[in-house]
Amino acid sequence: MMSFRIQAMIIVALAVLLLLILNMVRKRKLELKYVLAWILCDVILIIMTATPEIIDYAAEWLGIFDPMNMIFFLGFVFLIILVFILTVSISRATAKIRRMAQVLSIAEKRIEDLETTLKETGGKSVQE
Amino acid sequence: MKKLVIIPAYNEKDNIISTVKEIEKEAPDYDYIIINDCSTDNTLDLIRYNGYDVLNLPVNLGIGGAVQTGYFYAYSHHYDIAVQIDADGQHDVSYLSAMEKHLLENNCDMVIGSRFIDKKGFQSSGLRRIGINFFNHLLFLLFRIRITDPTSGFRMCNQRTIAMFANEYPRDYPEPESTARLLRHKRKVEEEAVIMRKRRGGVSSISMMRSVYYMFKVTLAIIIERFR
Repeated sequence: MMSFRIQAMIIVALAVLLLLILNMVRKRKLELKYVLAWILCDVILIIMTATPEIIDYAAEWLGIFDPMNMIFFLGFVFLIILVFILTVSISRATAKIRRMAQVLSIAEKRIEDLETTLKETGGKSVQE
Repeated sequence: MKKLVIIPAYNEKDNIISTVKEIEKEAPDYDYIIINDCSTDNTLDLIRYNGYDVLNLPVNLGIGGAVQTGYFYAYSHHYDIAVQIDADGQHDVSYLSAMEKHLLENNCDMVIGSRFIDKKGFQSSGLRRIGINFFNHLLFLLFRIRITDPTSGFRMCNQRTIAMFANEYPRDYPEPESTARLLRHKRKVEEEAVIMRKRRGGVSSISMMRSVYYMFKVTLAIIIERFR
């Protein structure tokens, strides 16, 4: 079974992580949108560690002998979820960057063309 | 009728000038636009020095993103026809009028310049041929339409297809996948026989190791496209 010592250590670590995340959000270094999943995972892990009965019950139901393994397993599942969410965000960001680069290159050409017309007409008229 | 040639260029210092000159000579009724995809050689300098029309991408987007920039440009400037060609001199622009005629008369959404109809000219190297054949069969299996040259980058599109490509276009090795997309939407895709040349200079963007990755990726993409 889980000793009180490891239980306390895990909870403290999770609490520190949670505070760290919240502090970074406060300082606007992280966007709340992207850390919501982290906060959620963190809180669930804290609750599960603090109330070993839930873990014991879940572990027994799943056929996991040591509740400690249950925590590791949960942590692993959460990590996979978090990494997947990151992959989704990257895909979205890539599509946005791509479109912005394209729009930028087209806008740049428009400016160049306008500058050329301006030089040719001496700034009298830029309308086509 | 407004017509545009899209020329994606990445490190094409040896070819870009002759490619543009050929368009000006052989297809003077076409506008052209070069998309410089962050070339690391002096391609951009050459383009600027000669005063060619260019879209200069601030970050490297890869061939798909670059070609899409061209379609996006064609879309925002209301071009009726857009044709993509490779900057390396493989594609002979004197075929543009034949492709255009084919596109308009048969009311096609896309006409692909195929080197495997008359089987003349540069026929691509052995292993690549196997890949091309594979996509040929894959597309036929999934969409029941025979495209003899699905990887050809010599393709002419009408307004409807320009709008579609401007909106969504695959990243790398985009030809077979975007063809699959057109076929899924029941768009009319046909081929026109052309003779292709060997690339004039520079190196092909597709190396051996990468082709294995691309084969896998594009196959998966086409299969996913079938079930969209």
